Amino acid sequence: MTVYLDCASTTPTEPSVAEVMRRFIDVDYGNAASPIHDYGTFARMAVDHARGQIAKLVKVRRDAVIFTSGATEANNLAILGLRQYGTQTARRHVICSAIEHKAVLEPLEALTQSGFEMTLIPVDSDGRIIVDKLQRAMRPDTLLVSTMQVNNETGVKQPLTEIAEMLSEHHAYWHVDAAQGFGKELESITHPRIDMISISGHKIYGPKGVGALITRKRNGQSPPLKQLIYGGDQERGLRPGTLPVPLIAGLGEAARCALRRHEERLAKVTSIRTRALAALAELNPVINSPAAQSLPHYINISLPGIPSATAIEALAGTVAVSSTSACTSHTMAPSYVLKAMGRSEAETTSALRFSWCHLTEDVDWGAVVAILQKLRQHTGH
Amino acid sequence: MDLFTELEKVTRHEHEHGELPDWLAEPIYTVISNPHHYQGKDYLIEMLIDQLNEYDVYAEAGCCRWASDHEDIKRTLGKLNQ
Repeated sequence: MTVYLDCASTTPTEPSVAEVMRRFIDVDYGNAASPIHDYGTFARMAVDHARGQIAKLVKVRRDAVIFTSGATEANNLAILGLRQYGTQTARRHVICSAIEHKAVLEPLEALTQSGFEMTLIPVDSDGRIIVDKLQRAMRPDTLLVSTMQVNNETGVKQPLTEIAEMLSEHHAYWHVDAAQGFGKELESITHPRIDMISISGHKIYGPKGVGALITRKRNGQSPPLKQLIYGGDQERGLRPGTLPVPLIAGLGEAARCALRRHEERLAKVTSIRTRALAALAELNPVINSPAAQSLPHYINISLPGIPSATAIEALAGTVAVSSTSACTSHTMAPSYVLKAMGRSEAETTSALRFSWCHLTEDVDWGAVVAILQKLRQHTGH
Repeated sequence: MDLFTELEKVTRHEHEHGELPDWLAEPIYTVISNPHHYQGKDYLIEMLIDQLNEYDVYAEAGCCRWASDHEDIKRTLGKLNQ
C-alpha cells in the first residue's frame, strides 16, 4: 500500500469531521438562512458554532469569519475586494512576496490591469521574505501587503512578527494567506496587526470546497471590502449564496481538533520528520526546508541529476509525493519558489516535497532511500 | 480538560455567577451526571459549552446576533436527548 505523503497538497479527512458532516447531510439538512423552523434554526446554530471554533484559533470575534469556497476565493475577496477603495482613495500600490501562491499572485496581477502597480519582494536562500526589502518598498499610496504564513512548497514559516512590527506605523492593509499554516502553527496569525487571513478546510483535515476570509477590525473599522459576486446578504453581503452547512460544520470541527489536539499532532509530525531527515541524509540532498524555519510537516529536498517526475514515478508504489504546488505541478514547470530562493536549475528540476500529518501511516524510509539511490546510480550522479 | 468537566465548569459559573436560570441549568446538570448516556455526542456537548460561554439573555435583542440565548441551549439539549 502506497503511503500518502502529499499532505501539503490536501490532507486526509479527520474521522470526526466526516461524522459531523454526515449529520448535516443526512439529518439536519436545513438552510441556515431560514431560521423559521427547527431545521433552519439548528443549521444557523451549526454555522454560528463553526464560526466560533474558527475564530478561537485566530483570537477574533466570530463575526469576523466570512465563509467562502476555499482559500483561493478568500484571497480573491481580500485582494480584489479592495479595488474600489484603492481606486477611490488613489492608493493603487500593492505588494507581495515572490513566493506567494498563484491564488494571491494572479488576483494581484489582475489589479495591475486596472491601473494598480505591484511590487514583488524577494526572499532569502531559506525562503523567507526579506523584511528590510519590504520596508523599503512601502509607499504612502501602498494599499495592500499580502504575505503568506507558511510556504506551500517548502513549509517555511514567514517572519510575520517582524512584518507586523514593520507595518505598525503604516496604514496599508495586510492580508495573510494562511492556507498552509492555519491550525498547524497557532501563534503567528493571532497578531492584531493582521487585517485579513485566508484559510482552507482541506489543508486541516476538513472538507474540500470550504474556507474563510477572517477580517480583523483596526481602529474599530473592518477592511473596506466590496463583494465580488451578487445575489443575497449572506456573510455580511460579502459572499452571497446559500451556506454549505455540512462543509462549514466540517471546517469548524477541523478547527476544533486543531486547537484541542495541537500538542499530540505536533509530536507525531515532528517524530516523522526526525526519521525522514535521518534516512534522507544518506542521499546528501540539498535541503529546501531548513528545519529551524519550517513546519515539521514537510521536507522539500533537491537531488540534482534525478528529475522530479522520474523520482515521483519510481516512488509511486511506496510513497505518494509531489514536487511543487498541486496548483502548478501539472504544468511540470520548475518551481518559481525555489528559483526565488536562488536554487540552480539542476536543483529546481529535481525537487521533491514529502509532506505528512498525524494520520500518516508508518513510512518505510529505507525503501524510499533505496529507490532514490538506485535512480542516482542510473543517472551517474 | 475533559469535555464533561468543562461543561460542568461553565454551567456552574453561568448558573451561580451569571444569568443561567434554574430551569435551564437543571437539564444540563443531568447531562453532566450521566456522561455515559452522551458518549459519541462530542459535537453537541462542545456546542453547548460554546453557547454557555456566550450566554446572553438578550441575544435576540440587537440588530446582530453574536451571542446564544435560552432557545439555542434548549434546542441543543433537545438534540442531545434525541
